[in-house]
Amino acid sequence: MTDDMLIPLDQYLASGIHIGTQQKTKDMERYIYRVRQDGLYVLDIKTTDQRIALIAKFLASYDPKKILVVSTRVYGHKPVRMFSHYTGCKAVAGRFIPGMLTNPNSKTFSEPELLIITDPRADFQALREGAAIGIPIVALCDSENLLSNVDLAIPTNNKGRKALSLIYYLLAREMLRANGALPEDGDIDFQLDDFKQQ
Amino acid sequence: MECSSCKRKIAPKEKMVKFPCPACTAEIIRCEKCRVLANDYTCPECGFVGP
Repeated sequence: MTDDMLIPLDQYLASGIHIGTQQKTKDMERYIYRVRQDGLYVLDIKTTDQRIALIAKFLASYDPKKILVVSTRVYGHKPVRMFSHYTGCKAVAGRFIPGMLTNPNSKTFSEPELLIITDPRADFQALREGAAIGIPIVALCDSENLLSNVDLAIPTNNKGRKALSLIYYLLAREMLRANGALPEDGDIDFQLDDFKQQ
Repeated sequence: MECSSCKRKIAPKEKMVKFPCPACTAEIIRCEKCRVLANDYTCPECGFVGP
């Protein structure tokens, strides 16, 4: 199982990307592996791994300057900034000012072709505006998120510091490999620790 | 153009989203209603199921 994964299974488990919440939605039911004794839903790591690989290739097919990454969550600020630093995407870490995608008179107005959000619930403004302008939306979704207006979901823990840094690290690495900026299985000049919010 | 989820024909000025399938780059089209309701879509060529 670990042979065809992007990183060893232990590393996934250590970062806790499989830990969901105590709530689940019908939309996310298919990504849930089991329920723990304490009521926490556990996400399927294999699906997460496959989705990261697929979506990284999908992101590589877009011009990085036309991709916008958003994180209102504090633990997502540094991962998002580092992701944008290494891939060349635009990033919004912190408050998403309403009108950023829909109001041409706004100083922060931009017209991306693809939107990546860290949490559909926290980044609801970005999700709403992305849906309004009709661009594809990729979202990191936990077991309690709804998939309304989301076009591609990555089932993962989107609240943990380690989980968010690992997801963005893997997306950046695989995207650069798919772009041809990094050789396949080649060394990279950034580490997982660079993505961790302190 | 027809929606990949409900197979309904989409009018020229109707709201929708178009993107390449992450698995095979075939075109996937979703109408506004299917998007809001988070209806599943299937890639017509490779069978990728989303979202």
